[in-house]
Amino acid sequence: MIPMRGITRSIAFRYLRTMALVVVAWWAVSAWLARPYLLPSPDVVATSALKLLASGRVVAALAVSGRRLLLSYLLAAAVGIPLGVGMGLSRWLAGLFDWLIEMVRPISGIALIPVLLVVFGVSDALPLSIIFYAAVFPFVLNSASGVRHVDARLTRAARVLGAARGRIIRTVILPAAVPDIMTGARIAASNSWMALIVAELIGAPNGLGFAVGYAQELGNATLVLAWITYIGLCGYALDTTLDWLQGRLTPWRVGLKVGG
Amino acid sequence: MGVQAVTQRTGPGTPLDLPEVRLAVRAVLPVSLVLLWHVLSLGWPHTPQYATPVGVLRAFTELWAKGSLQAGALISIQRILTAFVLAILLGGSVGLLMGYWSVLDGWLGPLVHTLRPIAPYAWIPLVILWLGIGDAAVISIVAYAAFFPMTVNAIAGARNIDRNLIDAARVLGAPGLTLLARVFFPAALPSLLVGARLAMGSAWIAIVAAELAAGSRATQTATGGLGQLMYIFYTYSVNLNYIVACIITVGVLALLSDCLLGALYRRLTPWARGS
Repeated sequence: MIPMRGITRSIAFRYLRTMALVVVAWWAVSAWLARPYLLPSPDVVATSALKLLASGRVVAALAVSGRRLLLSYLLAAAVGIPLGVGMGLSRWLAGLFDWLIEMVRPISGIALIPVLLVVFGVSDALPLSIIFYAAVFPFVLNSASGVRHVDARLTRAARVLGAARGRIIRTVILPAAVPDIMTGARIAASNSWMALIVAELIGAPNGLGFAVGYAQELGNATLVLAWITYIGLCGYALDTTLDWLQGRLTPWRVGLKVGG
Repeated sequence: MGVQAVTQRTGPGTPLDLPEVRLAVRAVLPVSLVLLWHVLSLGWPHTPQYATPVGVLRAFTELWAKGSLQAGALISIQRILTAFVLAILLGGSVGLLMGYWSVLDGWLGPLVHTLRPIAPYAWIPLVILWLGIGDAAVISIVAYAAFFPMTVNAIAGARNIDRNLIDAARVLGAPGLTLLARVFFPAALPSLLVGARLAMGSAWIAIVAAELAAGSRATQTATGGLGQLMYIFYTYSVNLNYIVACIITVGVLALLSDCLLGALYRRLTPWARGS
């Protein structure tokens, strides 16, 4: 009795149980609907997805989208973290950027797509800039709040013990701000992932978002669902990896923050 | 400044302590950037592909006078409200039930946590295939995008309720419905309102995405909304001034709705300050 309970409580079991139910429900609805051009059955989609993988188109699209995501995300980190840390350290810098950020932030990266369509056209530059824009704000805001909320007792102790300002920043403030910066990095990753899909759907000649949009223009629901499956798997993998990374890098803060 | 500012908040005597100075410092960048844009734009060719501050202002008054800005905004706001109410009711009730009743969480949790990191926008092509490019398609995408922040926060809200409160009310003889309305719901309310606010933010991002995508796939029929208005200005007139005017409208509306929900949060849950 006890080992059975152990199995039913495991995360993997629960996960498979729910997903099996979803697949069965999907299969039942598609059989009842009997309109494969709208909702093909799961096995048809799975076959199509495997064929897609074998043709090499999935890997090709993934390479294009992955490169865009990584490039813009890293650039956003390289700009956003130093700016945010600077804003956390200096009230002058914070004051300087405060209003600008608050004025621009309500405008989502996605809303900028039509502007960039005019400026760049359908191109590689469009998704790259949208992703950068979507990712940079979480980096800036979370780095700034991380630095600002470092326990004052720590910095005071370091100062009393005679550490110079540069050394306090390097050895006390920055390490203490890492958990908040990691939170920002996670929000930035999920923002840039969403921005990537929309930007490619509307304004790029290739990539995952383009592929799913193209399948829709062909009117091929099977192909659309196959691509959505791959996009879903990538999104899930990205989220799980970052979750794991956050746990590894800042184990003392796991589970304290709720995403936002 | 520097470390001093971090540890001691204010050092007496810094010019930044004067409110006028603080205001001036904050205004420097926005004002000078707009001025720079204006000065640079004087040398640009007078074609609509180049947005200028004056051009944007003119586009705004023109669109307002024609009424197309209000018409587009009205359609978008109606869609947002419908989708928002759907997401709040569905996400709120599913989330509260999941947070309170762990059996349901065991079954639905994996589904919610698998679907959440998938970009809602990946569904746009499928939704267009199923529902076309009108209200139904846009509303379902927006509702889907708003559903997750609402659900996740409702789960957290129900899970973090102090069980002692519920036990105490039960011991004191509160009937089920009273328990729900007077103890359970108020205790979860702060989380629900945070979820609603985040959901509204997601909704404004999603509606632009959905209307842009729907607009880019529309052949002849107009689907309406600010997002499609932008796309029309891109395809038919390539007028950047109009597009920027639309974007600013969306930004202002998003900001207004966020302030409204923020005020509601402070009004309804004064005890939950600073969480």
